[in-house]
Amino acid sequence: MEIRTKLAAVVAATFALGTAATAEPITVVSWGGSYGQAQDNALFNDASRNSGIEIIRESGASMSKACLQVESGAVTWDLVVTGSGGAAAAAAKGCLEKIDYSVVDVSDFYPNTYTDYCVGSDVFATVMAWNTDKYGAPGSDGAPNSWADFFDVEKFPGTRAYRANNVDGALEPALMADGVAPEDVYNVLATREGKERAINKIRELKPHIAVFWESGAMQAQLMKDGEVDMTTGWNGRFDNAKKDGATVGYTFNQALLDYDCFAMPKGAPNKDTAMAFLAEVSKAEYQANLPFHITYGPTNKKAYEVTTAPAELIRALPSHPDNVPFMVPVSLDWYAEHRAEALELYIEMLSE
Amino acid sequence: MARADADASRSGRHLHGAALKRQHTREQWSVLSLVVPALIVIVLIILIPLSWLFYLSFLGDNGGFSLENYHKMTQYKSYYRIFVTTFQVSILTTLACIALGYPLAFFLAQLPPRWAGVFMLAVLLPFWTSLLVRTYAWLVLLQKRGILNEFAMQVGLWETPIKLVHNMTGTLIGMAHIMLPFLILPLYNAMRKIDKDMMHAAANLGANPINAFWRVYFPLSLPGMVAGSLIVFVLCLGFYVTPAVLGGGRVIMVSNQITAILENQFDWGAASALGVVLLVATTFTLYLAARVFKFDAALFGRD
Amino acid sequence: MLIDSRLKLSFAVTDDPLGTTALPIEIRDLTKRYGSVYALNSVDLDVHSGEFLTLLGPSGSGKTTLLMAIAGFNRPDSGSIRFGEDEVILTPPHKREVGMVFQSYALFPHMNVADNIGFPLKLRGITGAERATRVEEALETVQLSGFGARNIDQLSGGQRQRVALARAFVFGPRILLMDEPLSALDKKLRERMQIELKHLHRKLGVTTVYVTHDQREALTMSDRIAVINDGELIQLDTPEVIYNSPANAFVADFIGESTMLPLKRDDAGALLFRGQKVGDAGADEGKDWTLVVRPERLFFAGAGAETDDQTIVLKGVLREAVFQGESEMALVSIDDDTEVAVRFGTSGRASPAASITGDQVYIGLDRNDVIIIPGGQAA
Repeated sequence: MEIRTKLAAVVAATFALGTAATAEPITVVSWGGSYGQAQDNALFNDASRNSGIEIIRESGASMSKACLQVESGAVTWDLVVTGSGGAAAAAAKGCLEKIDYSVVDVSDFYPNTYTDYCVGSDVFATVMAWNTDKYGAPGSDGAPNSWADFFDVEKFPGTRAYRANNVDGALEPALMADGVAPEDVYNVLATREGKERAINKIRELKPHIAVFWESGAMQAQLMKDGEVDMTTGWNGRFDNAKKDGATVGYTFNQALLDYDCFAMPKGAPNKDTAMAFLAEVSKAEYQANLPFHITYGPTNKKAYEVTTAPAELIRALPSHPDNVPFMVPVSLDWYAEHRAEALELYIEMLSE
Repeated sequence: MARADADASRSGRHLHGAALKRQHTREQWSVLSLVVPALIVIVLIILIPLSWLFYLSFLGDNGGFSLENYHKMTQYKSYYRIFVTTFQVSILTTLACIALGYPLAFFLAQLPPRWAGVFMLAVLLPFWTSLLVRTYAWLVLLQKRGILNEFAMQVGLWETPIKLVHNMTGTLIGMAHIMLPFLILPLYNAMRKIDKDMMHAAANLGANPINAFWRVYFPLSLPGMVAGSLIVFVLCLGFYVTPAVLGGGRVIMVSNQITAILENQFDWGAASALGVVLLVATTFTLYLAARVFKFDAALFGRD
Repeated sequence: MLIDSRLKLSFAVTDDPLGTTALPIEIRDLTKRYGSVYALNSVDLDVHSGEFLTLLGPSGSGKTTLLMAIAGFNRPDSGSIRFGEDEVILTPPHKREVGMVFQSYALFPHMNVADNIGFPLKLRGITGAERATRVEEALETVQLSGFGARNIDQLSGGQRQRVALARAFVFGPRILLMDEPLSALDKKLRERMQIELKHLHRKLGVTTVYVTHDQREALTMSDRIAVINDGELIQLDTPEVIYNSPANAFVADFIGESTMLPLKRDDAGALLFRGQKVGDAGADEGKDWTLVVRPERLFFAGAGAETDDQTIVLKGVLREAVFQGESEMALVSIDDDTEVAVRFGTSGRASPAASITGDQVYIGLDRNDVIIIPGGQAA
């Protein structure tokens, strides 16, 4: 194992020497908080060392800023982290480079974790998380276990937090709580009535929603500070909050399975070097390190084979085969078609 | 004779007349040339982006001229409500700043200048820390298990935590704190300029301190207050960070909506249209204020 | 209790638009210190009912402090101020019922002329037609009829001065204070206003305390002048007495032009200037005496003139003669370090036409015009 890693490093280094010796450093943009740190420790630092490609790390990744760079012809970013939906929307606007799959090897990736315009970096889930002091540990008797419980303030009295200013992952839970079967959620949401049904369900809950969160960092903070009793959010953020001492737990039941990915703005200044770095960072051996830093699963199946992470850590990953059956995969097609309308309706409700 | 002189001057036959006139013209042009850098800056940082904003807002999905971005705003009530919220937050913040700032500025204006300088420094100190840090500091203070609630419950002021943040209250507290110096500076300046004899005269003519304040001091400080209030109000209209952090998603102002549209839809046209409407609404408000101010100015002796 | 009755009285007075009642002011032992400096050092002063009294002194002398103490704008450390029978030392300024004209005029820029003048009436509950009438009457008194609707910044300096004056007397105060009210006006206007103020004072009959540092203004306008220096009252008397018999060198120097000449006292008590007897010390044993010579009281005597019973004659050399329009000023040195100024009219009769610089001249002083003050000249 050790020899293999070393060997890989040597091979990578010799390969890199030829191309990277004269290459400019590339700019890699991710998000702040525990997510970006996890990527630095698991992916970027090692991949950069092994490939010899220097990287400049920035925070504040956003597809809208990437698009702005593209449209104003002043692209400075080479690789940008984005949610899958954001990548799809940006691609539709023509803001992204096509991924060169002769350079990036995705043969071991799970299906549906890469598109023409982005390569999955990790798999995460939008879950419901709660204060375990108040509602009990996950799986224990009487603990919440479904979106219906999240929306039931009589059975689980207390305050809630929900998504602000962004409709991603906001409507599906409401429909499931309203009795729609997980597999029918996107069909129902395809109609105006379906969207309004979901919105109305949230509208009902709104008096109990103390805070609408804007970011993953905020989800973790709200639970750590005890500002709310239950919230929606991204599973990895809660595991890290728990590591910091927060009494927080969550369930994968009815969670929304989604992935983050790397995308390249159209006209990226160091396109070829960035593509080479993307190929490097997508390798299983880096993704295998991710569970040590944040509980987001790899998109590269092979990572499960090479990882040295303990079994219980792996079992906690959203993309673990035992967890996936409980979850609802996010439909990129639905977001591509319905996001704009859904957002208007959602903000309509928020602004009331 | 006088007629002849006038004729002579018109034809420029006076001694050195033409040369003196040329010199005058040259001087005027050289003074005018001083504004060229300012003009360039204004064109670069105001006119061009503003024109671009207007242009984008009238650009349809098909790339041609279209009113669809404006039409969309009439389809959903949320836009109307967001504008109402924006003006509501701005007006309330301005009022809060006046309520807090007027007594403070008055106090400062009564101090000897040296002491006033020290206190003014304390007022301006918040300017030196980042906006985000100040805003998050309020979050730490005001949240459910924040310092204020914990303290008040320990002392027994109230039993269960009061909701001070993630709502309009928290937003207004944060905004007023950030905006206060913008009100105090012009107001303090106006108060310093009020001649001490004015208050002496009022007292001498029989006005008790309350009368003297309301009938003489307050009207004289009004221009400073109007100037400060307008600055605060206009700055509030475009504010983003504080309502985003302290509003808990409930206080949606125009800039928050612009961000949402950009982040989710990359729709520059819709975002620009919102910007244009805000700009027009702001201009209209300022116009109204100017009308009121002119009415004031008439009191001060101008027509 | 005292204040209450006084207030009632004052309202009765304000029913008379031109407030013909006047009150005397009695100041006793008034002291005000700023740090270790006495702005007022135990000042006693009586202002008679209806008189025009001027507080005259250089800047920093304490005259303004005294005026502000009368108005109630500063708080003395100790002492007493009475308006008539009433002690007002503790009365706040808005209850003192004195009119005041400020150096800066202190007209309210956010009110027009009529509102400025009507302000004290409004505060006294005088409304509507009566207020308008009284404002118009006041405007008439200061010769500004019809100016009521004007804004303050549309007025000239002289007009503002009149508005400030009208505002100060419109409510019928029995005491009027003026703090260098004419200092912002140009010379010609100032001289005209001096006469107008004097007229107005006669018309209103109100006790007036007037502050100025301009001795000519003080001499022109006052019934009596109180000369103040270093927080102390130096001399209080009519302009003539102050001018002709200054109490000391400071008064002599500050008021009018003068040349100070040191005198010697002989054993018999005669006071001598260069051997010529100019006066008598009498029983006063004081060693230093000074002869105060007013330039306009000197005249050119004929060549060879001698001192006699009526005239003292000094011999000297004409150093310079300066033409000043209505008069001419000559500098005559009577020895190496003594120079005397002589002012004479510019009519052909008065002018020493023959004399040119460097000529020997004889200057005469009538014995009636001799001013002798005790003490050395360095007051």
